[in-house]
Amino acid sequence: MSNAIVEREVALIDLLDRLLGGGVVIAGDITLAAADVDLVYVSLRALIASVATAEEKGMLPRMGSAL
Amino acid sequence: MIDLFAITDDPAPPLPTVAPLSAVASHGLALVCAPAAHVEVSPEVLWRHEEVVEALMEDRDLLPVRFGTRLDDETAAARALGERHEELASALDRVRGAVELSVRVLGERSGEADADLPDPVTGAEYLRAKAASAAGERSAVRSVHEPLAARARDSKRLAARDRHELLRAAYLVDRSAVEPFAEQVSRLQHANPRLRLLCTGPWPPYSFTGE
Repeated sequence: MSNAIVEREVALIDLLDRLLGGGVVIAGDITLAAADVDLVYVSLRALIASVATAEEKGMLPRMGSAL
Repeated sequence: MIDLFAITDDPAPPLPTVAPLSAVASHGLALVCAPAAHVEVSPEVLWRHEEVVEALMEDRDLLPVRFGTRLDDETAAARALGERHEELASALDRVRGAVELSVRVLGERSGEADADLPDPVTGAEYLRAKAASAAGERSAVRSVHEPLAARARDSKRLAARDRHELLRAAYLVDRSAVEPFAEQVSRLQHANPRLRLLCTGPWPPYSFTGE
């Protein structure tokens, strides 16, 4: 896995926190129910696990390079 | 149906052309929306949504709306703004001129230097592991979170989702202070070689919308 892809997957974890767990809540037709949010996390678990593997192998930048 | 992206001031600069956006204005605020499109959630869809909000963030202050919010039409959008305009206007004021930075700290829990340790089986082992885990968290908070929070306009700890994660946090930082903040992260990384600091951003202020 290239560093660029790993960085994007590191950022994906942060993106999930923000898009699915943050932001102003406006009453409307929420297309994504709480159960769906959990499903998204489950379906992306494999992706996140692969990031953990990359971290173990020292393939991740030491700091802040995604910034 | 329309998908919602963000709440901005009204008037605001012309909308970016990255998506077929329109703005519904009411009470000095604007709700930026687009014809409803996606249904399936995938990383690509989430990044696409983020790209739109980031394009807006380039030249205006905004409150991002929770992903997946959909309304019937622009009349419903104007009503949603009108009903909560005072609360939303103060929330927008709180993030004015600032962006969000994410910091996660990964590390070995204290007393767990050997990453291949088996899962605890006895009660005593469980308690030791739990105490070590709490100590690791306290140390990450003291050595990373506190100095960063002191530099930020606001900060928020998020729930960790991984046992190697000692800290997951969001910081609201003035746009002009992003670079000094990143330098501080680098200094903290050098000062704490046993930890791994992962910093991303700038993000729209998702964690500071007042919910």
